[in-house]
Amino acid sequence: MSINTYEARKAKALAMGGPEKLARRRAAGILNARERIDRLFDAGSFIESGLFGASLDDPDRSAGDGKIAGFGRIEGRDVAAVANDFTVMGASSAATNGRKIGHIKRVATSRGMPIVFLGESSGARMPDHMGSRGMGALLGNDPTQYVRRREVPWASATLGLSYGSSSWYSVLSDFNVIRKGAVLAVSSAQLASLAIKEKVDPEEMGGWQVHAEVTGFADAVAETDEEALDLIRTFLSYLPSHHRAAPPERAVPAGSGSGMADIARLLPEKRTQVYDVRRIIRAIVDADSFFELKARFGKVIGTGLARLGGRTVGILANNPLFRGGAMDTDSCEKATSFLVLCDSFNIPVVLLVDTPGFLIGIDAERKRAPGKIMNFMQALQLCTVPKISVILRKTYGQAYLNMGGGRNSDEVAAWPSAEVSFMDPTYAVKIVHGLSPGEAGFDEAFAQMNKDSEPWDIAAMYAVQSVIQPHETRDYLIRMLDVHRQRLTNGVGEHLMQAWPTSF
Amino acid sequence: MANYEVKAEVSGSVWKIVTEVGQALEAGDTLMIIESMKMEIPVIVEQGGTVQRFLVDESAAVNEGQAVAVLST
Repeated sequence: MSINTYEARKAKALAMGGPEKLARRRAAGILNARERIDRLFDAGSFIESGLFGASLDDPDRSAGDGKIAGFGRIEGRDVAAVANDFTVMGASSAATNGRKIGHIKRVATSRGMPIVFLGESSGARMPDHMGSRGMGALLGNDPTQYVRRREVPWASATLGLSYGSSSWYSVLSDFNVIRKGAVLAVSSAQLASLAIKEKVDPEEMGGWQVHAEVTGFADAVAETDEEALDLIRTFLSYLPSHHRAAPPERAVPAGSGSGMADIARLLPEKRTQVYDVRRIIRAIVDADSFFELKARFGKVIGTGLARLGGRTVGILANNPLFRGGAMDTDSCEKATSFLVLCDSFNIPVVLLVDTPGFLIGIDAERKRAPGKIMNFMQALQLCTVPKISVILRKTYGQAYLNMGGGRNSDEVAAWPSAEVSFMDPTYAVKIVHGLSPGEAGFDEAFAQMNKDSEPWDIAAMYAVQSVIQPHETRDYLIRMLDVHRQRLTNGVGEHLMQAWPTSF
Repeated sequence: MANYEVKAEVSGSVWKIVTEVGQALEAGDTLMIIESMKMEIPVIVEQGGTVQRFLVDESAAVNEGQAVAVLST
């Protein structure tokens, strides 16, 4: 083979689906697969695996077989990636690119590095998959293809029309960002329209708003490809490369903790008023380190990664701003998946507690609230990473347990403003004394129940280990997380939920 | 000018309407307060606009997802 043949073949592979298709993407402000890889990885760090891969049925039109694979570095750490190249046969799944994905997954898993999937694919390649011959030859043939054991972090971006395996890898990932304008679905709107005999709008079926607000499959939303790729880099910065390592540490940014002196002002004095717990989170954690996940889904619980004293923590907080913090089924699913993420990758969990309980009623029961509450509860109890709860205000009944009370966290601290009881005193007065607001004796009974709900009795019994002032919270957490550092295993937990589903 | 409805995200009763017809609101402003789960839960507008009319009165029971006001942008 001459050098010219080599250079010509290489140039053809790098040209992807050709200049016209690439120009159309550029005009639309959308990156192509190779530009995405360049943006994702540290400059010059990418080494490709499978540049000359192609479909032997149509080698001239199948540069890279539509999926670009390889290894690069993010902030100096090795990461594997598969980027769908939609300009080549719609990045459809086929024999060669299936081998590429399998290889990348095997290498990343056995060598201990995260995998990034950049999703944009029309689904299975037709006609390769058609007929029993196509099915026998192509689909599957890998009994581990969709197994998630969370040995290494998976991160995904949905950056265009994403159907079939491209969607599967996104929902199997620990983090998925969807770019506005992209669609994540089982199959195309065109096929869905054929199947159900009605017009299906792609955006309505699987657009960013659906996945950010309804399904919760989107952990984040990006305006552009560039922003989506940067979010993946940020997400991975909190995680270890694999499940047998503790997360990386960072220097503590200047200004961290500067809001602690005034933190008590963020909590309304009146017990019925709401507030945004994310302001409290941002005051407590290292400056600018709160990376919220699923911000638009199950909003009554806020979840996110952050750093405290330079170390990664997971924050799971009731957010009274939404529904008063009453936990619905979506928020239970969100909490469950977040606990699985943290436990699988050795991230200690801090729970900030202020909830009137679980949202109850006919709708909640029909959405299987008892099952969702118990999934959440079981996830918390199976966590082997350190867990610390801080009760800011209300904690009642079963929600007290779900948020770490009753020895479900390794340490429980309460602010003096904490209210701990089986139910809200207003309801309790009605049930215990038969009195409603405005009736004689209600105010006295209510005041007594409120007093009984103060944290002093439960602290005296040592069922709450500490009562702390709000401004002490950051220092308390940093110190107590250090006390609970898993010295015997170098910060590595047991990962009892590593094979739990990635959606519920 | 386009009208859009603001919806309650929680079932409860309207405790207090804290805005007026004709008032200009910005994204994040509180339109009214619903009492639910013994909490005062604000109905927050997600995009700015001018209040055209209210679809509920104070003390009215509202369901999750029910439109409570019309705003124009």
